[in-house]
Amino acid sequence: MPQARAICKASTSAIPRCIMRRMRPREETITVGGIGVHTWIGGQGDPLLVLHGAGGNRGWTRWLDLVSERFTVWAPTHPGFGRSGDADWMDGIDDLARFHLWFIDAAGLGRPHVLGHSIGGWTAAEMAAMSPGAINRLILVAPVGLKPETGEILDIFFYSPAQLLAKTIHDPKTVPEWDALYGTPPTPAQLEIAERNREMTARLTWKPYMHNPRLAHFLPRVTNPALIVWGREDQIVPVECGEQYRRLLPNARLTVLEKCSHLPPIEQPDAFARLVLDFLGGESRR
Amino acid sequence: MKLYYFSEMPHHEFPDAEGDKYPSLRLEFPNRFFDRNKAAENYRRYLTEYELADQVGFEGLMINEHHSTPSCVNVGVNMTAAVLARTTQRAKILLLGNILPIEDNPVRMAEQLAMADLISGGRVLSGFVRGVGVETWWANTNPVHNRERFEECHDLILKCWTAEGPFRWEGRHYHFRHVNPWCLPLQKPHPPIWIPGTASPETAIWAGRRGYTYVPFLVPFDIARELFDYYRQGAAEVGRTVTPDNLGFLICAVTADTTARAVEAGKHFVWRMGPTLRAPVEWFAPVGMRSRAGQQFALRARPRSLATMSYEELRDGHFIIAGTPDEVAERFALVRRELGVGHLLLEAQESRMDHPTTMRSIELMGAKVIPAVARL
Repeated sequence: MPQARAICKASTSAIPRCIMRRMRPREETITVGGIGVHTWIGGQGDPLLVLHGAGGNRGWTRWLDLVSERFTVWAPTHPGFGRSGDADWMDGIDDLARFHLWFIDAAGLGRPHVLGHSIGGWTAAEMAAMSPGAINRLILVAPVGLKPETGEILDIFFYSPAQLLAKTIHDPKTVPEWDALYGTPPTPAQLEIAERNREMTARLTWKPYMHNPRLAHFLPRVTNPALIVWGREDQIVPVECGEQYRRLLPNARLTVLEKCSHLPPIEQPDAFARLVLDFLGGESRR
Repeated sequence: MKLYYFSEMPHHEFPDAEGDKYPSLRLEFPNRFFDRNKAAENYRRYLTEYELADQVGFEGLMINEHHSTPSCVNVGVNMTAAVLARTTQRAKILLLGNILPIEDNPVRMAEQLAMADLISGGRVLSGFVRGVGVETWWANTNPVHNRERFEECHDLILKCWTAEGPFRWEGRHYHFRHVNPWCLPLQKPHPPIWIPGTASPETAIWAGRRGYTYVPFLVPFDIARELFDYYRQGAAEVGRTVTPDNLGFLICAVTADTTARAVEAGKHFVWRMGPTLRAPVEWFAPVGMRSRAGQQFALRARPRSLATMSYEELRDGHFIIAGTPDEVAERFALVRRELGVGHLLLEAQESRMDHPTTMRSIELMGAKVIPAVARL
């Protein structure tokens, strides 16, 4: 299996299990810079680093299961989020980007594909701008990070979680995992994690709000093949930001999903997974 | 017990039905409802009331600061302090206070307070507050840094007042390479520092350690006692003895020649308990602004929001005191017995309480109430 050989070469002896058939997803804590990073790992094939958005790491959801048939997914929880350790010293997404470049080294991922959603997408874009050679293909899903030219990025801290969810998802009836993800009232432990996630998001994105005025100047450096995915009905980050990313990244294309808001991987997991596999599969066949 | 006069300088000059159309009177209620001519009149009026409070014998004139809200259009507490420093003669000027976490230049803050202290002849009482969330939104300061910035801003102001310049400050949130203020307070080592409290045990402990005057705002007596216990805990840590002079309390109060008139006037305070505090929780408490301990204490401190209480309940709970001079003096004495405070801060004008009513209340407080409670 070419993918399996690739990952073994990339990570040498760090992941002997890569020679096994597709792995069952598992959770590990990987220590990076003294911070324990709670990480979901699973699948087979070339490594794909998945960086979550402000809502936190949702775990092994349907789209990951589909994508992990061909790629080994590494989905760390950002420091300060979920069950990962604190990073009160971080001040911005550029800190998080440097951290995840370090994570790639610490986890022995070689030169992984990187997929990031929302603030995870911004993080992925910063990582690519800092060190384009450290990553393979880049997938940005409704990333923040650039200031819209006409619209505004919704001030997510100004609204309640319930108000936000209504804006984040276009139509709950079409979301296959709605019941599993949102169907029951959150437990106290889940509420605590949600609060923690919001706090860390505020720490990283408060001002300038959800963007880095310098990022646009660095994106032309990123010649990696890049796929940008957006929901046509995104009420959090206007789709015009997707156009900006496409213009600034020299080797990018933009795909806009209809009847979809800010969570394409959750709202349309099958279509989204297909987009990802088609885009990443292209290289592995070469 | 000493009495302090306070007005929020409200701008209740719009039809209430217009305000009701918005999720809050704060932040998003459009400023096209700001009436410039009324505001010009009101500022002069409110300053006249403060000047009378000075003349009739109030210990201090309390002023505060808010932004983006008609509930308080005193948008610059240092500016008001500078005006009162020149137009009043003897009362202390209690700024309660400057909102430290949203301040980007503590050196300028130290200079401005020093200048007000100098002009007033050493009458400044310098209150420092963390602010409500609304001011954090207004200033766009990261709420997760609120406490860190409060403490660092405080530390730098104190250093400006007490350390010889020039010096350098390289902190977590503030960075100045050449600090050497050529304006220092008249009072030595510096103006007394006051700290308000509503729900944060950490703030009470912090103030207790430093011996600052600590003043809970509009909380039930049992919560005030609990906050004072935290204050005493902080004081005990450093071997400091707590006296009534370290403790204050804030309530709303008005007096008049008859009970009926006072009770009628007191209804104006209901506006500040409900309509002006109405807002989504995220606006008053943005994420990360309060610690977990503070959040839990806040829930206990406010089992019922003031907004849900009737006027009678607000009077029964001593959030509002309205009556003849004898009646209010008696209630103030009760506050003193219940809480052992040395300073009672009176929010004494609100909403649409008119100028004659306010002036008469100030006169009566001076003639009858201040002497009566001075002995307590």
